[in-house]
Amino acid sequence: MEMIVSFILAIVSYMLIDNVVLSRFYGICSFIGVGNKVKSAFSMGLAVTFVIMMATLVCYPLYFYVLVPAGIPFLDTLVYILVIASLVQIVGLFIKKTSPSLYKTLGIYLPLITTNCAVLGVVQTNSDSQLDFLTSLANGLGTSIGFLVVIVLFACMRERMNGYNIPKAMKGVPIALIVAALMAMAFMGFGGMVG
Amino acid sequence: MDQRTAFIIAIITIVALLIVFVVSFVIYMRTPAPKGCEKLKIGPKNCEDCDVEGCMIYKERHKEQKEE
Repeated sequence: MEMIVSFILAIVSYMLIDNVVLSRFYGICSFIGVGNKVKSAFSMGLAVTFVIMMATLVCYPLYFYVLVPAGIPFLDTLVYILVIASLVQIVGLFIKKTSPSLYKTLGIYLPLITTNCAVLGVVQTNSDSQLDFLTSLANGLGTSIGFLVVIVLFACMRERMNGYNIPKAMKGVPIALIVAALMAMAFMGFGGMVG
Repeated sequence: MDQRTAFIIAIITIVALLIVFVVSFVIYMRTPAPKGCEKLKIGPKNCEDCDVEGCMIYKERHKEQKEE
């Protein structure tokens, strides 16, 4: 029972308190680039969630049971990039074959997942902090849900902002960054929630 | 398992990952796009959701909109 509680607390912690975008500043490129329409933001968030979870599941045993016993843990980044790039290709292939509508929405954004540092950040944190498997899973799940929540909320706000009279100099990325900063401050309010 | 065997296994794993990546890339490129998505390429029509102002496509798209 205690293990389940700590697992859920770890997910909440990685999702809200130590949010991947607003606290660790990973995945900003796709956050700013794709986060202005809810539909694309949601699709992007789902695809990133899937890739992060799969990357966590594959990279953990590769690091602890292959690279560390061989004495070459310094090759971890190379291995992780290979795993993530392959996963993105496989996800792309799957979407291409099964869901044309999702492919149409996500098609041109799909390669962005490979370069999304949130994915690499999660697996790198797992190995650098020597987290156990369950905490690594919680990190992957919490981070990916956190990314999904934040990018969708951000897209909702940006869609609403289209109707407002924003000064010319502030239109586009400047106002988006201010919104992101306000969101980061709001998320700071979750600090101390999990002891 | 001694260090040498572990090292060989690690190298084989890395090479296998590289092969998986190349094979998945080739299969992905050879798989035809679904109907209606054949000409889905980066361009003004498909980049409406993006607002990276440094991108050439963004500049061209907004130039056209201003002219209209």
